[in-house]
Amino acid sequence: MKPDAPKLLEIIAGKLLFEIAPSVQPSYRQSSVALTGMLLTMVKEEWERAVARRVEENEILRALFGRAAGQVGDAGLRGRLEAAAREKEASLLVSRLDASNDSLRALLIDLHAHVETHDAPWARALDDEIWRELRASTERRRFSLSPF
Amino acid sequence: MQELADRIAAYAAHRMPSASDVSASHVDRIHGGASRETYRFRLRWREGARETERRLILRRDPPGSLIETDRAAEFAAYQAFHPTAVPVPEALWLESDSRWLDHPFFVMEELAGFEASPQAILSAPYAQHHERLAREKWTILGAIASADPEKLGLTDKLPKVEPKDAWRRELEHWTKVIDEDSLAPQPIIRAAIRKLRREPPPPPRRIHVVHGDYRTGNFLYDAEGAIRGILDWEMAHLGDPLEDLAWSINRVWCWGRDERVGGLTSKENAIRIWEQASGLRADPAALHWWELFSSVKGLAIWISGGHEYQEGTNKDPVLAFSSVWLSNAQDRAALETMGKLV
Repeated sequence: MKPDAPKLLEIIAGKLLFEIAPSVQPSYRQSSVALTGMLLTMVKEEWERAVARRVEENEILRALFGRAAGQVGDAGLRGRLEAAAREKEASLLVSRLDASNDSLRALLIDLHAHVETHDAPWARALDDEIWRELRASTERRRFSLSPF
Repeated sequence: MQELADRIAAYAAHRMPSASDVSASHVDRIHGGASRETYRFRLRWREGARETERRLILRRDPPGSLIETDRAAEFAAYQAFHPTAVPVPEALWLESDSRWLDHPFFVMEELAGFEASPQAILSAPYAQHHERLAREKWTILGAIASADPEKLGLTDKLPKVEPKDAWRRELEHWTKVIDEDSLAPQPIIRAAIRKLRREPPPPPRRIHVVHGDYRTGNFLYDAEGAIRGILDWEMAHLGDPLEDLAWSINRVWCWGRDERVGGLTSKENAIRIWEQASGLRADPAALHWWELFSSVKGLAIWISGGHEYQEGTNKDPVLAFSSVWLSNAQDRAALETMGKLV
């Protein structure tokens, strides 16, 4: 696709924010146009990194689950971790990567809740690893427009 | 807008049987919070020989919104605090019958000529008045906290709660919103919810009025740094006053993208002003609990708005924008509160 999607989105967002919105009335429509422009700048940012951040995160989570499977005593959870660790991406379509990511992050919630109920060194180490990943996950999703 | 103006006038005539020549004009939709459609308008009528014009606000329920709230609670809060040290517009009419304007609504006075934007407050002529704005902002919040809900007549209008149950009711309410509306798993906020359940806060000594959305962006201010109106009471309820204090200093409201809470002052100064005004002490451990809760509530609101937008029940771009813009920031705020961001 040419012109490139990020360039298209950048130009359209700029037009909405700086040319169209100031001349739109009433004020509610003006702010709706401006908000749409700002939304497009975030869509542009997400477009560029969409596949990369999902593939990266899914790989990290599968590796984490592979390590956790060797330490978790609960047979049911261990089986789910082992199965998830063996999975490969079936497609690089963003929707498919998102579906994988949703499944993996749901399992991460269950693993985290399980780890929190144990005080053993393996559990503390795994807890630390999960928090590091959660922190990193917010860096992957961060927008340059973000207030924090 | 003429049709809406005519319908507003018909309703006003119904509410003011002694008035004649009732007309509405200058109907203009404005952004007034994402939970209701907000319109400003002018109402003109005659009573005997006297002709009157008032600038008013209509707050109408939309098909879907960021916050599913009870308009009666919002209306009751406006009525309760008018007129007191907490500046609010006068609330006039509450209407649940949809035949008038298709959806339930209420009408209140417009406080005209003031600014509300959280971005405008960062620049001239308002930026030079941050010290006064901060003092007024947390002094007024202290006044809300020190008010007696029974004397205000709110104990009959807002759902009751015991001090020991205040935290649980709020946490379970917003957890349910996350359960029902999440478009994707939320591992950070789920960890926060587990922590909040494991380590509940000490209860308040009594039950207080909680504004529920007290932040820069939800009050009107003037060019001299005075706060002229506290708005957006749609999440008002009875509970722990630390809930409001914690919400007001939430990280995502640091509009200056620095350490100043609400874009105005340091967190320590905000707490000090609030303690002086309310006569209450912000117990650090309890405040910490409510700060983390604020991120759960915040994310629930962003999730709910994103859900409405994706479902197509409300296509206002503010819902999508808030959800996309603030969800990750709210996760980071939760991490910071839990000491996990470093």
